[in-house]
Amino acid sequence: MTAVIEAEGLSKFYGRRRGLENLTLTVAAGEVFGYLGPNGAGKTTTIRLLLDVIRPTRGRIRILGKDPRDHRVRARIGYLPGELSLEGTERAREYLEFLAQVRGSGRSQIPVLAERLEADLSVSMGKLSKGNKQKVGLIQAFMHNPDLLVLDEPTSGLDPLVQQEFLAMVREARNAGRTVLMSSHVLAEVEHVSDRVGVVRGGRLVAVEGVAALREKAIRRVEFHFDAPVPPEAFEGLPGVRDLRVEGTAVRCTIDGRPDALIKAAARFTVVHMVSEEPDLEEIFLAYYSEEEDHAYAGA
Amino acid sequence: MPTLVRKTLRDYRRSLIGWTVGICAFLTLYLSIYPSIAANPDVYGDAALAKYPGALRDLMGGLDDIASGAGYLQTLVYQLFGPLLFIVCAVLLANRAIAVPEGKGTLELTLALPLSRSRIVLERWAAVAVGLLIVTVVSFALVTTMVALVDMNVEVDRVLAAHTGLYLLALLVGTLALAIGAITGRKAVALAASGGVAVASYAIESLAKNVDAISWLRWVSPFRYYADGNPLRLGWPVGDYLILAAAIAVLLFTAVRAFDRRDVGV
Ligand SMILES: Nc1ncnc2c1ncn2[C@@H]1O[C@H](COP(=O)(O)OP(=O)(O)OP(=O)(O)O)[C@@H](O)[C@H]1O
Ligand SMILES: [Mg+2]
Repeated sequence: MTAVIEAEGLSKFYGRRRGLENLTLTVAAGEVFGYLGPNGAGKTTTIRLLLDVIRPTRGRIRILGKDPRDHRVRARIGYLPGELSLEGTERAREYLEFLAQVRGSGRSQIPVLAERLEADLSVSMGKLSKGNKQKVGLIQAFMHNPDLLVLDEPTSGLDPLVQQEFLAMVREARNAGRTVLMSSHVLAEVEHVSDRVGVVRGGRLVAVEGVAALREKAIRRVEFHFDAPVPPEAFEGLPGVRDLRVEGTAVRCTIDGRPDALIKAAARFTVVHMVSEEPDLEEIFLAYYSEEEDHAYAGA
Repeated sequence: MPTLVRKTLRDYRRSLIGWTVGICAFLTLYLSIYPSIAANPDVYGDAALAKYPGALRDLMGGLDDIASGAGYLQTLVYQLFGPLLFIVCAVLLANRAIAVPEGKGTLELTLALPLSRSRIVLERWAAVAVGLLIVTVVSFALVTTMVALVDMNVEVDRVLAAHTGLYLLALLVGTLALAIGAITGRKAVALAASGGVAVASYAIESLAKNVDAISWLRWVSPFRYYADGNPLRLGWPVGDYLILAAAIAVLLFTAVRAFDRRDVGV
């Protein structure tokens, strides 16, 4: 697969303040990448570097195979700024139409997306509510069907229903072969759509992990209830099974990784009821990367 | 017209209407009282005004021969108030090209468009130039109409020459404000610096004629190239105007280069 975003040794200092240091990251075509980190970690810095709003102190970026300074490449990028600012007396629709005109495409998508996100485009931009501004921001990022979407905290200010709709839009974009990089403070916001997640902290990328791999690492609590008491030996020593308690017709345990062995063991009896808790990926993720980084995960 | 120019002009629409109406109201008011001044030469004639010291007269806008049409027009419109209004208008528009939207954060989405940085600066500048041209053309039409109505006896071509100077001077100071905004991204800096240059330049032009020690400063002062040729009486000061135009080009080029090289919104 070809890389859509390639950053190599990317650093950005604001005077002497560190924004980002030595980031090396590749995002492949068709991938949804969740970019996580606490406040001040360097997410916005990275994203603004990708869009050539700010220039790197050191390092190299290729975006869609081009130098980000090549303005033509931005016709293929949809960008939602982290601090979206929309002002003035112009109606949101007129502004979006202006953007479509400069990009040379996307006009027909404006009403379609507005309806999906339930955005009122007849309001003047300065009077939009925070959530509605964010919707206008999303419409302009998605409307020209860009090959790459770069979204800085896209769900901020959106109510839960609109968040769901937004996630559906991200899935559709991925299914259409587009690439997405989206930032967030919490894994829960991005885990359901992301293929991979990366974490920045203090300007450094401290972990990158596939979401599927994280799920495999997940510890989950499982309960089986059978129609008759079961022998404890049938469940002892199964790979990945821990904290096993067999009490009459009930088996309780936690599984670490794949549930395969446990399911096969249970299948020899008649299962009447089963409970499997959805693992909290966030917890695993944080545990996972705080092991790598020695200092405690104090923030976030 | 390129899309960004059109869009920027649309953003400027309200201010442009405001400035055009304001400047025209000012002109109408002052030019309409000319007949009463022309009718009282003993109060406003040269002899009556000669009692003011030369430097003071210069600072007040010449007070030269204000009972004649050209003198009145020069003193009331082209000496101080015209440049003042045009320059303030130009600086405020020019500041909205880069520095103001950068401060507000609205420039971020413009930068994400498939437009080069140079093109953004050039198109935004073009919108300032066109906007100012609209104000100039309308006010020129008004002045020529008033000149005819109140019998000022000044040729249209001379008014055109003087108005062209007004346009170039204001565009120069506006382009300076735009350039400082493009270099620093700070609207307060752009406003203070370009306003300071305009005021200093006016003072130099008014006083340097009488103070030899600073007379060399006139050569770098925009007002010198605006006022020295006296277009209302002598016609087109082509050389001076070309220098103003060249200075605009240099500032614009500087703005483009600077904006192309720096971080935005930091
Ligand atoms: N314009 C700037 N001038 C100086 N320092 C800056 C500037 N922008 C960002 N920084 C610093 O760079 C670091 C990274 O900031 P950045 O905005 O990239 O964080 P973030 O991950 O987007 O945080 P948040 O979740 O709060 O949006 C922070 O320490 C911040 O203070
Ligand atoms: Mg941020």
